[in-house]
Amino acid sequence: MNASKVFLVAASMSMSAAAIAAGAHGGGHGAGSGEPGKASEAARTITVEMYDNYYEPEEVSVETGETVRFVVKNEGSLVHEFNIGTPSMHEGHQKEMMMMVEHGVIQGGKLNHDMMSMDMGNGKTMKHDDPNSVLLEPGQSKEVVWKFTEKGDIEFACNVPGHYQAGMYGDVNFE
Amino acid sequence: MSRIRSVVAVSFLASMGFSTAVTAQEMISDTTARKQPLTTWGVQFEEFEYRYSDDDEELGVWNADAFYGTDDFKVRLLTTGEYEIAEQAYETLENQLVGQIPISKFFDAKAGVRFDTPEGPDRTYAVLGVAGLAPQWFEIDANLYVSKDGDTSTELDAEYELLLTNYWILAATLDATVAFSEDREIGVGKGLVSTETGLRLSYDLIDRAFSPYVGVVHERKYGDSADFAEADGGSTEDWFAVIGARIAF
Amino acid sequence: MKTRLLTGLLSLLMPAMVLAGEYDLTVDRVEIDTGDFVKEGIGYNGKSPGPVMRFKEGENVRINVTNNLDEMTSIHWHGLILPFDQDGVPGISFPGIKPGETFTYEFPIQQAGTYWFHSHSGFQEPDGAYGSIVIEPEGREPFRYDREYVVQLTDKHPHSGDRIMRNLKMMPDYYNREQQTVGEFFSDVSENGLMNTVRDRMAWGGMRMMKADVEDLQGFTGLINGKGPDQNWTGLFEPGERIRLRFINSSAMTYFDIRIPGLDMTVVQADGNNVQPVNVDEFRIGVAETYDVIVRPKDEQAYTIFAESMGRSGYARATLAPEEGMEAAVPQLREPARLTMADMSGMHGMDHGSMAGMDHGNMEMGSSEDMAGMDHSSMEGKDHSNMSSMDHSNMKGMDHSGMAGMDHGSMAMGKESPSDPFYAKGSGLVPTAANGGKFLSYADLKAQNPLYEDREPTREIELRLTGNMERYTWSINGVKYEDADPIRLKYGERVRFKFVNETMMTHPMHLHGMWSILDVGAGQWNPIKHTVSVQPGTTVYMETEVDEPGQWAFHCHLSYHAAAGMFRKVIVEGGPESKQAKTDVIAEEGGEA
Repeated sequence: MNASKVFLVAASMSMSAAAIAAGAHGGGHGAGSGEPGKASEAARTITVEMYDNYYEPEEVSVETGETVRFVVKNEGSLVHEFNIGTPSMHEGHQKEMMMMVEHGVIQGGKLNHDMMSMDMGNGKTMKHDDPNSVLLEPGQSKEVVWKFTEKGDIEFACNVPGHYQAGMYGDVNFE
Repeated sequence: MSRIRSVVAVSFLASMGFSTAVTAQEMISDTTARKQPLTTWGVQFEEFEYRYSDDDEELGVWNADAFYGTDDFKVRLLTTGEYEIAEQAYETLENQLVGQIPISKFFDAKAGVRFDTPEGPDRTYAVLGVAGLAPQWFEIDANLYVSKDGDTSTELDAEYELLLTNYWILAATLDATVAFSEDREIGVGKGLVSTETGLRLSYDLIDRAFSPYVGVVHERKYGDSADFAEADGGSTEDWFAVIGARIAF
Repeated sequence: MKTRLLTGLLSLLMPAMVLAGEYDLTVDRVEIDTGDFVKEGIGYNGKSPGPVMRFKEGENVRINVTNNLDEMTSIHWHGLILPFDQDGVPGISFPGIKPGETFTYEFPIQQAGTYWFHSHSGFQEPDGAYGSIVIEPEGREPFRYDREYVVQLTDKHPHSGDRIMRNLKMMPDYYNREQQTVGEFFSDVSENGLMNTVRDRMAWGGMRMMKADVEDLQGFTGLINGKGPDQNWTGLFEPGERIRLRFINSSAMTYFDIRIPGLDMTVVQADGNNVQPVNVDEFRIGVAETYDVIVRPKDEQAYTIFAESMGRSGYARATLAPEEGMEAAVPQLREPARLTMADMSGMHGMDHGSMAGMDHGNMEMGSSEDMAGMDHSSMEGKDHSNMSSMDHSNMKGMDHSGMAGMDHGSMAMGKESPSDPFYAKGSGLVPTAANGGKFLSYADLKAQNPLYEDREPTREIELRLTGNMERYTWSINGVKYEDADPIRLKYGERVRFKFVNETMMTHPMHLHGMWSILDVGAGQWNPIKHTVSVQPGTTVYMETEVDEPGQWAFHCHLSYHAAAGMFRKVIVEGGPESKQAKTDVIAEEGGEA
């Protein structure tokens, strides 16, 4: 949680600058999956294309401690997510994404931005603004800069309901 | 091979003749069984039983029908008999052959002939009837009979099945005959002639094909018919214990 | 669409490289052992069910079918897009295959996914003449799995199809052993009071309709891949693997509600076409439908695939296990379904006088436009109001499991009773998940990739699904097939079919040769199907791009409903000359229908 607050800046390169730090759908980000990286430290850029419903490539190799700049492009016709985390983090996040669908935030190939920024009652929103992930409409492209601080069971995954289960995930292999 | 081709050619020509919009695509006309009316048949013994009366009379009784035909027209054979075991004689023996057509959602009309050939005088009747399912699940079969000599009578059959379970079924039946003219020779007086009411408890042992039952049957004659029966030395009211089976195949 | 384009390009560039597969099938008398009984039936290559036919998108297949029976036969490739003379319906696509004859089917495979094949002659299909088709796509699929199994269901009955038809004609309730009894009367009395129960019975008795008319054909043993519940077909897995289960309902008459206790299922394909993945706990598979789901068992334990018939009169069961011989608990059947007055609401000429005592609230049926649209429009409206009033202050702590299980239908309609826009409001057939979780609705099905551009239909054709249970007659617009003229469509049009179910039974309507675009209110994302279930008392719309010339069958896929007359021939007029020319070819194939 701390990590995401500190390094929010990195992520907001591509996200709304007005993003509020509180993780709208947080849930242990950072634990075991690494931390937001600084763009300046990223020695390598990996382009990840998102299709319906899979990634290309479906695995990436990183070194422990490496900071990678991921350029994520949604080449599909549905909304997709790119989210770096452990399987259990993804599982927790899927419930939140389910809620986003039920509340009409994610509608097939569209995001309802009004709904995302709506105050949920205590200053929290359904903004999808965690630094380990981006949520993209078809045609959009954004970046995630991530530092893989330690070895772990890490996947990048799309947690739009059903997508992860259908196999929209990729493995992060440590060299 | 050539036959099909010629059928095709005919239908092609025919379609050309009737409509220019039809293309060459209606190549085959459906001559399979599916395109024909579905023909079906069935045989049912509603009653096939042994009766033992309160004055030790023993009867073998059946009430059955068999049909063959389509939704639009069926031929139905109905047969009923009561065989006096001690006297080795048919107390009643009725056979009807009718044609049957649907007249409403739940009812059919029937028309045909009935031949009565029991011990004693025979009779031939013309039959006109309706059969079907009345509201509240009463199976109804109502018939009007006209004999060769012009005697007319009517018979109403009603049945209701109470499902104690999906296999134990209690069936109540009522059969009443009313004559509009007297036929002394066969013991029929004008007015209400007779009723037969029955209550049978059955168990579906093999699908609905074989359902053994036990039950009681009450037969009664009324008015002039009762007097005729008495005069002929017969009884006017009988109680029977029955054992038998409902059979369908 | 993309793959089609690719195929086109490839065939332009490399015309010589078209794949061709040759396959042989024999149609044989076989013995079928369900574990409960053994009977003679019909199968393919000596077995029922027949083999899994594995095709590849883009190949041309030649299938030599040899008829070893002493009667005519045929094979229909259910859901495949092909020239009409290869569709295998005697009397419509070809004359049929005579005893002893070998007929060679030849057609290009233009699609991918899970399908099946079956005889279209007499009652050979319910007698066992069916098998499955798996078509591997040219490109990659929009999902991943480590292994796959075909899970083909049927309702195997000890009686032959001919006998079943005859018995149903003789006594329509011949096989119904879920009728209301005296015992149910008294339990209803204690629940609803004497007068209400009497009124209820009188209302139904007045219509001469049975609340228990959910399954015409009971007494079957549910089979999965030919195995009865005790024979327990088992699919093996390694924990952590994703398994694709290709469910196919090859039943003559039976809808199944399928669940795998302990596993979430992700539906990724319906009727062979990819859908946007939906996570469900349970789903209902109509007769002739297919659903592909992905499951991921993580634990080293057995899981039961439990397929309960819609009327709860029987079930099929199989197992997923890490090792052969392992098994998990088999759930009990739930209470039999009972129709409600809502399910009768499509009937004309109903005696409304006798319904005085009934709950008319149930009868309020939205028009079907409402129904299809309901999910979305009212959901959105509802959401906003929910959002402001709902306490989201503690989102993390909220019970998300409950949220995930909530279904969209009930959000829109309130929680008092389960609902689904594809069932009459207040219907007694609305399914609910055994674990209280998510039950798949047609409304959840969205095409993964629209196959056609969305456009306005050129016209609408109303098809009222009609019948008379007491006579066991089934028809369309009140006319049985034997008396009906063909439905004429024009090549190139887009027809909107309006199904109005005026009966109390569910009808899986199957149009041959062209896709059925089911209107779930999702516009261009409406799912593409080959079989569309129409529930009693509902109106369902589907659209068809009339893009295949020739003549085709269009019918209820319940075997005994189709045979009783709920069947039509469709003629597509016009179309490319090249395709029309082919019709001459079949005309030359011999044989009598």
